[in-house]
Amino acid sequence: MSVRKLSVLAMLACSGLAVLALVVAIGASRASAQIRTYTPPKTAKPGADWTERIEEILPPGVESRAEATARVAAYKPDPVKYPVPRTPWDGKPDFSGVYWPDATITPPPVPLESLYRPEAREYRERGGAAAGLIDWRGIDTPNYHCWPPSPVNGSMGGTVQLVSAPGYLLLLNEGGSNFRIIPIVGENAPRPSASRNPSYQGSSIGHWEGDTLVVEVTNFNGKPWLGNAQPPNRLPQTTSDALRIVERWSRPDAQVFEHRVVIEDAKMLSAPWTGAADRRGIVPYDTVQESLCFLDPELDARHKEFAAQQAKKSGAVR
Amino acid sequence: MSRRAMGAVAGAVVVGAALLVGVRMSMNESGATGAATGTSAFSAQTAWGEPNLTGVWRASPLGAGSGRDTFNLAKLEGLYTPEAHTRMNGLSANDDPTMRCTPPAFPRAAMLGHPIQIIQRPGFAFVFTEAYPVFRIVPTTGRPHTSAQYLFPTHLGDSTARWEGDTLVVDVISFNGEGWLAGPQDRPTNGSTGVWLTSDAMHIVERWRRVDANTLEYQARVEDPKTLTMPWDTPTVVFKRQTVDRIEEVMCRPEDGPATYLARLGS
Repeated sequence: MSVRKLSVLAMLACSGLAVLALVVAIGASRASAQIRTYTPPKTAKPGADWTERIEEILPPGVESRAEATARVAAYKPDPVKYPVPRTPWDGKPDFSGVYWPDATITPPPVPLESLYRPEAREYRERGGAAAGLIDWRGIDTPNYHCWPPSPVNGSMGGTVQLVSAPGYLLLLNEGGSNFRIIPIVGENAPRPSASRNPSYQGSSIGHWEGDTLVVEVTNFNGKPWLGNAQPPNRLPQTTSDALRIVERWSRPDAQVFEHRVVIEDAKMLSAPWTGAADRRGIVPYDTVQESLCFLDPELDARHKEFAAQQAKKSGAVR
Repeated sequence: MSRRAMGAVAGAVVVGAALLVGVRMSMNESGATGAATGTSAFSAQTAWGEPNLTGVWRASPLGAGSGRDTFNLAKLEGLYTPEAHTRMNGLSANDDPTMRCTPPAFPRAAMLGHPIQIIQRPGFAFVFTEAYPVFRIVPTTGRPHTSAQYLFPTHLGDSTARWEGDTLVVDVISFNGEGWLAGPQDRPTNGSTGVWLTSDAMHIVERWRRVDANTLEYQARVEDPKTLTMPWDTPTVVFKRQTVDRIEEVMCRPEDGPATYLARLGS
């Protein structure tokens, strides 16, 4: 199987199918219109630098997302056979590489939904701080507005490139081309300034605990969802401006990295929630490719119609 | 051996040497920016010996929107082929791709007057833009462009770069021909349409140079044989180091409309 073919299939599988899965979850009948909101990623190029070392879990020929996910989930990291790459500037694990797909290795101890406060119901009905944008019962989700992926996944989409640089971990998403810049500070170093404004991806600050990069993320704008609605029963898993996330990033060996979040949101959740431990496998490509996200005009028109109806309804109540 | 291949080898040797030596970062304890993130952003060189472009940088807005042409745009306008002029006469401001939140490629991105952030590691530089947020991956080892098998046209093109002395020279190809070189407000002459087309034949050579701890200069030469009769040179754009440690996240949402986005970006 050619590298090119693997790449095309892999990229299509990871982003196209992810979107498709969401669409199916929301309402299969609307799939055809919605999937066009996303420009499918194209190809990646073969590794020339940091990714040459890898072939084992996701060799060329692994083409389906299901198979790749199963392989990554079943993989037993072996730091003797595949030593953890380390940076020349601080000797810490070097996360650099292109990774796919996202496999759960340890499920969350409790379902996120079980922690949502009953009094948050009205806020969740509105779609949270994304109120007015979202009809959670079927028209759309934050994905369709080209917002970054859920912070539960570290805002990572299908195919993601991580880059270790002196003082930083960079996260570059292929789908949607969004990014996170995570400054890494020393134990007693001054903290970098936060963003002036709250944002979808928050302000990140990382520090090392041994070989684990611990990243605290605050300063969110209340618009990200932790999980989509599952009509007719489950409301969107909204967030508030009180959202605070602690991520733990680790590199058990050269084949994979692992990521886990603990999420606090005093306005939404009755207790902190520990997310799934996720693992992604490195793929033998050098960089992610430009794959911008554009709004589907048809979806946009339907959304505006919905917003107008809502406005009319609330006007009538007044 | 081609020049490109030699460049790649030389670059690989430099990077390899840096890795072998295992250079340690010299921490800069003074100063808030950069030191806070442990990157010693102010030091002139990276630990592996390249000019250090790391930091948050911002230039003044440039263009021809306020009566003055500060971006050599009258010259550019005169370089368009008659055929390109004909096509541009049939378009309007609404056709500008940034109206749909499409990130403009450099050099237009350098005209906007909004911050950018640069971060380096051995072999690569990464350029992040605050306005129309997107990232650029710039290999700095002089390696060849992405091979034709994997190359496809994009808004930002395919970059590869090499150091010429202390200047990072970035070669960019493989554009999709959808981007504009300036905005609809840029009308340097009475006959201006405010439309600034490009084609998929565009080739850009950028020169990035750190002048001193607080100054980064940028200049670009744009060739586009399908739309321009001659190469066009931008003036030198002077970026100044910002005191913040990070650019803001200012997502562009088409449904908000371009005016809202520009307002959120601020001045």
